[in-house]
This record gives sequence, C-alpha cells and structure tokens, in this order.
Amino acid sequence: MTTDVRTDGGSAGTTATDNGDLVLDAAGVTLRFGGVTSLNNVELRMHRGEVLAVIGPNGAGKTSLFNSLTGAYTPQEGRITYRPSQGGEHELLGRKPHLVSRLGVSRTFQNIRLFGALTALENVKIAAETRLKAGPVSIMLGLPNARKAERDSDRKAHEVLSFVGLVDKLNELAGSLSYGDQRRLEIARALATDPQVLLLDEPAAGTNPTEKLELEQLIRRINRDLGVSVLLIEHDMRLVMSVADRVMVLNFGKKIAEGTPSEVQQNPAVIEAYLGAVAEEDTAAVAETIAAHEAAETDADTDDTDDTDDSAGGSDGPGKERE
Amino acid sequence: MSDATKTTNLTVAQQLREVRWYQQPRWRRLGALLSLGLLMSMVTGVQGTHNDIFYAVRENFSDGSVAVWLGLALLVWAVREFASAPFTSSARKVKGTLVTPLGAVGRLWSTERWVRWGVIAAFAAILVWGPMGLSRFWQTVLVDQIAIYLLVAVGLNVVIGWAGMLDLGFIAFFAIGAYSAAFWTGALPVQPPVVLNNFLVIPLAVITCLIAGVLLGAPTLRLRGDYLAIVTLGFHEIVYLAAKNLGDVTGGTSGVKVDRWHIDLGFWTYEWNVIDQMPFYWLLLAFIAIVVFLFIRLEHSKVGRAWTAIREDEVAAASTGVDTVRYKLMAFAIGASTSGIAGVAYASKVGYINSENFVILLSILVLSYVIFGGMGSIPGVLFGAAFLVWLPEFLRDFVDPKDRHMYLGALLVVMMIYRPQGVIPSRRRQRELEMAEAGTGGADATGPASGRQS
Repeated sequence: MTTDVRTDGGSAGTTATDNGDLVLDAAGVTLRFGGVTSLNNVELRMHRGEVLAVIGPNGAGKTSLFNSLTGAYTPQEGRITYRPSQGGEHELLGRKPHLVSRLGVSRTFQNIRLFGALTALENVKIAAETRLKAGPVSIMLGLPNARKAERDSDRKAHEVLSFVGLVDKLNELAGSLSYGDQRRLEIARALATDPQVLLLDEPAAGTNPTEKLELEQLIRRINRDLGVSVLLIEHDMRLVMSVADRVMVLNFGKKIAEGTPSEVQQNPAVIEAYLGAVAEEDTAAVAETIAAHEAAETDADTDDTDDTDDSAGGSDGPGKERE
Repeated sequence: MSDATKTTNLTVAQQLREVRWYQQPRWRRLGALLSLGLLMSMVTGVQGTHNDIFYAVRENFSDGSVAVWLGLALLVWAVREFASAPFTSSARKVKGTLVTPLGAVGRLWSTERWVRWGVIAAFAAILVWGPMGLSRFWQTVLVDQIAIYLLVAVGLNVVIGWAGMLDLGFIAFFAIGAYSAAFWTGALPVQPPVVLNNFLVIPLAVITCLIAGVLLGAPTLRLRGDYLAIVTLGFHEIVYLAAKNLGDVTGGTSGVKVDRWHIDLGFWTYEWNVIDQMPFYWLLLAFIAIVVFLFIRLEHSKVGRAWTAIREDEVAAASTGVDTVRYKLMAFAIGASTSGIAGVAYASKVGYINSENFVILLSILVLSYVIFGGMGSIPGVLFGAAFLVWLPEFLRDFVDPKDRHMYLGALLVVMMIYRPQGVIPSRRRQRELEMAEAGTGGADATGPASGRQS
C-alpha cells in the first residue's frame, strides 16, 4: 500500500528464483514444551516476493512455526533473521509480538481472532494506527497531530478494506460478518500494518468454494500488487498448488521436503508423511488422493481441530492461555 | 410394538435434548431472589444475642417482614419473567407518542446548530443552577459525596470499563491525592519544601498518582483477572495502613486539617467557605465537565480502540502491533490521576482528612457504581455513581441507617440477575456480553480474555 513497498516488490513473483534475496531466514529453530519437541532444527528460507506454503499433517508444528516467527513463542534455539526491503537485519527470535508486527511481519490466526464487538473499520484502524505517533494527551486536547493521525488511519483503513472488498461492510460488527468476510477482514487487519511479510494461517479453513476462489485471487493480488511476501499454512492442496511458488513440508517438527509444488507432490517422504507408508509406484495418483483427502478434511474441520500445538496464545508469563 | 419403540427412542433423544422445567434458568433466578429475600429479612431485622443463638432467626422469621421480603422477591421475579411484555409494549407506546416530537428535535439537533447549543445550554443551566433549590443537606451530599465519587468512578471506568483490568483498590489513589493535597498545603506533620495553593497541588497530585499508578502497574500487568484484583487490593491495604500507622507523617486516625479551596492573588482573594455549598459545587462541576470532555475524546480515539482490542483479545492485539503493556500502564496512570484529582478536591472541600476516609469499603462501592451504571459507558458511570451515592442518603430517613448498604447490595444482586450490562451500557460492552452469552467470546473483564469467535 505504501509506495516504497510497491516499488521494491514490484517485480514480486518473478524474483522468487533469486536466491540471494531472503526476506526471512530462519535456521536451527528448535522449540520445546517440556519434553515435547514441537519444532526440531527447522530451517526456513523465504525469498522476497514469493508465496511460500507450509504444509504438513496435523500436529506437524506449522502453527508453532508461525508463533515462533511472530514472537508469540520464543524457541530455545536457533535464529530468525528478517531483512526488510529498506535494508538492515533484524533478529525476530525473542522479540515481542507487537515489535515484530511493527517491523513488517504480520499474521492472521487459524481460528479467527477479530475484535468482535468493534466494527470492521475499527478493527482495521487499530492495526493502521499502531505506528502513528499520537499520545493520549494530544488526543485529549484535540491537538492537530492527533486529528491528523485519526484522518490518516481512517484513510488507510478505507484503502485496505476496499482492497479486500469489504468497503461496503465497514460499519458492520466484526462478530456478525460471515465466515468468509471475517477471514478477509483478518487479512485486511494484517495488511493495515504495512507488512512486507504476511503470514496466513489456514485462511481457507471453513470457507466455501466461491470464497476459496476469491481468497486465491486475493492472495495473488496481495503478492503481486502490493509486493508482499506471503507465508501460507494451508490444508487445501488445490489452493496451495495454485498460489504457492514453493512448498515446504513439515512433519513431527522437522522439515522433510522443500521445492516447487510439483516436486513436493512427488517426494516419497511427503507421501509417506501423509499416508503413513512408502508408496513408490504411481505417485501422481497418490498425490491426487492426498489433494482430495485434504480438501475433504478441510471442509470437515472448520475449527481448530487441526494442530494440537495450536495454543496460539500465551505470550510468556503466567497469563498464558489455552486456545 | 413399533409405536412403543418409537416413543422410547424419542424419549432418549428428548432426554438428551430437553431442558426440564426445573432446569430452566428462570427457576434458578427465582431461587436466587428468594434467598436474597430471606437474607434481607435477616440482615435488616433484629440482631442476635450470644445467649440465644437462634434468637435472631426466630424473631426475624416469625414477624411479617420475612413475608414482605419474600413477597417482594416473588413480585420482582414475576414481573420480570412474565409481565415484561406488557411493560415493554406500554413503554413502546409511550415512546411512540414521544417519537414524533423527539424525532423532530433529533433532526433539528443534527441539522441546526442553534438547537444543539440550545439543548446543551439548557441542560448545563439546570446542572449549574438547579441544585440551588435543594435543601442544605442535599447540597452537602451533592458536593461532598456525589460529585467527588463521580470523579473517582469516571477514573475507575478507564481502568475497568475500557482497559478491562479489575482494580479493587482504587481508593488508594484517592488517598494519595488527598494526602498530596494535605502535604503540599502544609497540613501534615511533615512540612513540604514550599507551601502551595490547593489549585497548584492538582498537577503535583496528578503526577504523584501517575507515578503510583505506574509503580503498581509495571510489575503486575503480567497478571490477569483475579490475580491483578488481589494485588490491587493489597496495594490499597498498604496505602491505608501506611496512612493509619504512620501518624508522625500522615496524622493517622486523628487526622489533619487541610486548607479549603482559596485563591490569593495578592490584590484579590477569594475563599470557598462552608456557609455556602454552591461555589464548591460549581468548582467540582467544572472539574467533572473537563474530565468527562477529555475522556469522551479518548474513548473514540486510537487509545480507546487499543484498550478495547486488549480487553477482547490480548494476543490478537499484540500481533496487530498494539503495545499492550504501554496501553495498560496508560489506563492505570490515567485512572489513577483522575482519582488523585478527586482526592485533592475532597481534602480541599471537607477541610479534614484522616485514614478512615479511605477504607476498603469505598473501593468496593466505587467499583459497584461503575458496574451498576454500565462499565465503559460514561453516561452510565455518571448515573450509576450519582444514583448509588444518593440512595443510601435517601434511605437514611426510612430504614435503620446501619442497614443502608444492605439495600444497596440487594439492588446490585437484582441488577446482576436481570441487567448485568448496567443501567446505561456502552455499546461495545453490551455486544461483548451478548457474544459471551452466545458462547462466542469473552466479555468478562476479570476472566482470561478469550475473544474468539468461530
């Protein structure tokens, strides 16, 4: 949305093959909960401007990876380097979630977490104004900078909402929107922080085929028009295969494969992870079965029955909550 | 035979699905109300003696009062459960007759500038000159209690209503404000570096309370709900016991005399005196008006939205870029400083403070004002504080003065059964409550915020 992002990532999809330009570079990320190793030495190399999908069976650690990247969890080992387009390097590991968001790494949640009692517009405004400088005193006194900040966030929110196609619903309560609209609103809220990397956690879960199609186009537009790199967790293989430039497969907290969608589909380790046995012959047929199976499964579980490690909450400390 | 199987199957299904008549929530409400009636007849009746432990029970349950209380409970229940339809329809009819003129006024309000200012001016005029017609007793109540606690309640509303943090020790900041006033006007046994006028104390008290609020908040903001409430309760006790036991510093229970509001410009002096309550009233009215005006701006700004976000889903708020710790501290500090202003106003009005002005009961009462009026809604909190401060004073003439707070408690219980969102709820809060009832979100400021809908 800001021009600097657009010019930088303008050639977005095509630069995906450029190995030198990594926007997210994680190595050796290991996350343990007591005796359970949720992520085991995971490596993630995300190129600027690409759509990278993370797939894997239930409990593979996909959401844990997201939570580690965005500061909700602090992995015990490893490093996560983020390189924004304006230069510089930032270590994300151990950084507070709101600081990660301000650096330009934004996320959505697997089980939608909107502010239900606020309107769609207000939801997006909260995200749009986190970087605006206006303290409580200038707001209370109605100083010009506070009024300008309010106008700016209003304009920004309108812009983002029209981008995702919710501009006619901006005064509706977030909690009363349809499921697909809530998903889109969550994406809008994430986009309003001007991210360079957008992390989408199962955006297609629980949406109907039409909404899925719209979502597919939306992800493409986010990637191409806004130049945002997209990291995508998704069970819907058709969606993954059509939007992802590369796919990374996790199983039991380990990366087992990485490559283009078609490479990954034929990787024996991936097939084994999904089917539980080595199927050597006729991998194409098996891959199709996987896709069908996944589609059915995603339709079936609209809720967070997916990852057992999905306690997305719990920043550190005693306030930790279960999702 | 097949019929029989059918019925059995049905009953199995029904058993799982059906809510039996005694499981309906209305019977639970009746039970709660009847217990409340019994309790009220006990606590408002005669006292027990240690010679005969059942004396009070026998006395209170044998005379007519128990029947009156139970009848009252039954009446409230019956009216609310079964007769609410005629009530709402007649209310709607009244609204219908009023709607044309009101609608006209409303249209004028939004189009014509002079109507808006006219209505506001008329309302302000009633607020400013209306209390002149009251008796001296009610004027004193209005100034010493209603106006002061309005200010405190508006401050607490920031913490609990907007940021969603349960603070059970809010009067501690009130005490800090009052003792700041006493200190800087030279009333305490310890002397300040320079003796100041009461008005100049206000910024100092605000700063002191800000610091106290941050000091309390910084280590405790990781706590949530009940834990935070306990810490604030402890904070209140620390402040209260310090005021009580550090007699050499604070004057302790015997108290200190504080100068009343006065202006001394050398060529012109003015002193607010106890003979006339109205100047005090106008001064406090100005304070309240300023604070409310500033807070309304805050509510519909970035800060108010960030507070709502934190209240609903802290994790999502942080992921969206909201600095949760900063905003929570801000709420604590703003609430505390408002309470501090009220403390200065109290000390400078009454002219005397001791540690017993700041007991824990007041913290709980202020909390109940906020909840009764409607958490998060400024009109609600103003009404709640005004009404609940007025009620015990009003009851003074009709019931045993010692029992006054019992009636307040009964009112709150009934309120929480039938209108938990408060008299004039805030729209955001009401939505949250509705979502919580539908099982799609957390509305409870005290519980872990879940805030998920799916």
